[in-house]
Amino acid sequence: MEMEAQENTVQQKLSGNNMIEMIKVSRSYPPDIQALKDISFSVETGEMFFLIGRSGAGKTTLLKLICNMEMPTNGLIEVAGYNINSLKGKDLALLRQRIGVAYQDFKLLNDRTVAENIAIAMEVSYKKQRAIKQRVRDLLDQLQLTSKHDLLTGELSRGEQQRVTLARSVANSPRLILVDEPTGNLDSTTTEKVMDLLTRSNKAGATIVIATHDASIYENSNKRIMELRDGMIHSLVRGNTI
Amino acid sequence: MNFWFAVIRQTGRNLRQTWSSQVMTFLTVSLSVLIFAFFSLIYTNMIGAGDRLTDDLSLIVYLEDEPGEAMKEQLRRKILNFDEVEELRFISREEAYERFAKQLGENSDVLLDMPTDFLPASIEIVPLKSLRGYSQIKLFSEYLTSLPGTEKVQYGQEWIERFYHFVRLLTIVVILSGTLLILTATFMVAYTIRLTILGRQDELELLKLVGATNSYIQTPFLIEGILQGLMGSVIGLIALYGLFQWISTRFTGPGILNLFQFDFFSPLILIAIVLASISLCAFGSYTSIRKFLQI
Ligand SMILES: Nc1ncnc2c1ncn2[C@@H]1O[C@H](COP(=O)(O)OP(=O)(O)OP(=O)(O)O)[C@@H](O)[C@H]1O
Ligand SMILES: [Mg+2]
Repeated sequence: MEMEAQENTVQQKLSGNNMIEMIKVSRSYPPDIQALKDISFSVETGEMFFLIGRSGAGKTTLLKLICNMEMPTNGLIEVAGYNINSLKGKDLALLRQRIGVAYQDFKLLNDRTVAENIAIAMEVSYKKQRAIKQRVRDLLDQLQLTSKHDLLTGELSRGEQQRVTLARSVANSPRLILVDEPTGNLDSTTTEKVMDLLTRSNKAGATIVIATHDASIYENSNKRIMELRDGMIHSLVRGNTI
Repeated sequence: MNFWFAVIRQTGRNLRQTWSSQVMTFLTVSLSVLIFAFFSLIYTNMIGAGDRLTDDLSLIVYLEDEPGEAMKEQLRRKILNFDEVEELRFISREEAYERFAKQLGENSDVLLDMPTDFLPASIEIVPLKSLRGYSQIKLFSEYLTSLPGTEKVQYGQEWIERFYHFVRLLTIVVILSGTLLILTATFMVAYTIRLTILGRQDELELLKLVGATNSYIQTPFLIEGILQGLMGSVIGLIALYGLFQWISTRFTGPGILNLFQFDFFSPLILIAIVLASISLCAFGSYTSIRKFLQI
């Protein structure tokens, strides 16, 4: 009962107006690396949002702050209306179940099969075993990995691992999907497949933030694009207007 | 998929991944349960034997002279002053002689040349059941010795003293082996769980990131500890029962075991040992979880 009530409020907030709200956020690393400086912006619920910038600009750092993998040095970050840095325990876990992240360094368990790696994201929210199997098959099919179902992820090529990571991030149908460099190791056809999958999730209502170097995936879109330079917002524009 | 299904599958994975150290832990736990239970078993049986032994214990106070009626009354009062007794009987020299003669039976003619008062008069005292501890009996006997006109108090001191000395030694052994059980069970379980946790840092980290709750992450390790405690103690006790059976079939016939009527633990005590082992192991895993699973 209590858990359901908790879940309901998470649900309500997740469908509020702004999915992500950052106010004057900075992040520095010792000794004196300023990875992010004074970042303020917001991402609307249901939006697909591109985050670009040169290597080292701070894209990954920004995504880590949004999913509470790291804490900001300064500033306020709200995700789905929650101050994500003050969430703890079960609340944080429940929110994280609704946020899918495809990490730049994948974070796959290399001694587990592809299917098991994807299933993890659904298991933690106690989805039915049958539903999990079905969903895993669907995703692998869409990403052209059907034949890799039972391989260990350690045996895959980087491009394949990248897609498994993506599949895991969308598997649990999260409301917010953070994708870090999803097409770095992919050819153009596979890139298209990946973008199709993300677009479909977006159409189904998920808010999506994509950090990328790959101009081909955003240059012809009409989505908002934010460019970071040296840890600061250089520009925030809508596509097709550059 | 529900919580317990997930938790049990995770426990299975953990056990498989570190099975060799799991087996080591399991063996150590069952061995320490075996050692502890073995000595406790001997201990409880010794205590039982001690109770039976002192059941028909009586003290005999030898007197210097045949007491007169007034003296008898005074002695009786003084003895009862110390404590109530079950039975108190004066044996005159005459009676002692007759008893002895009866005991000799056919050979009683050796007494013919002896005067009928060569045996001392005595008081036979059967103490109360409540006064059956060795130290109390000893105190009582010291008190009796201090009474006027008594020569000597006898109650099989040496025998009882040796017996209780042995029991005291056994108490120490039981305490030591109990400590051994506590230390090995908690430390070994904490150690293997630490091993599992360190071996799966990546996975535990990822589980947190995808939103696994604390109980989802922690419960498998707790179950692992509980399983170790359960399996270890049950196997340890089964081994002890085997040993017990072997000893009792091998040593039937006249001997110390027959005298003492060797019993196995009652079901209640068996359950208590298993529960204690489970709680210790659960405690061990809990400390490891606390220490290495910072969430
Ligand atoms: N844990 C850390 N400790 C110290 N410095 C860090 C750490 N993480 C990031 N940085 C620094 O912060 C800056 C931004 O890094 P970040 O990973 O966010 O860049 P990025 O935009 O994702 O780059 P890329 O496109 O190469 O992935 C870099 O200069 C980096 O060296
Ligand atoms: Mg990066």
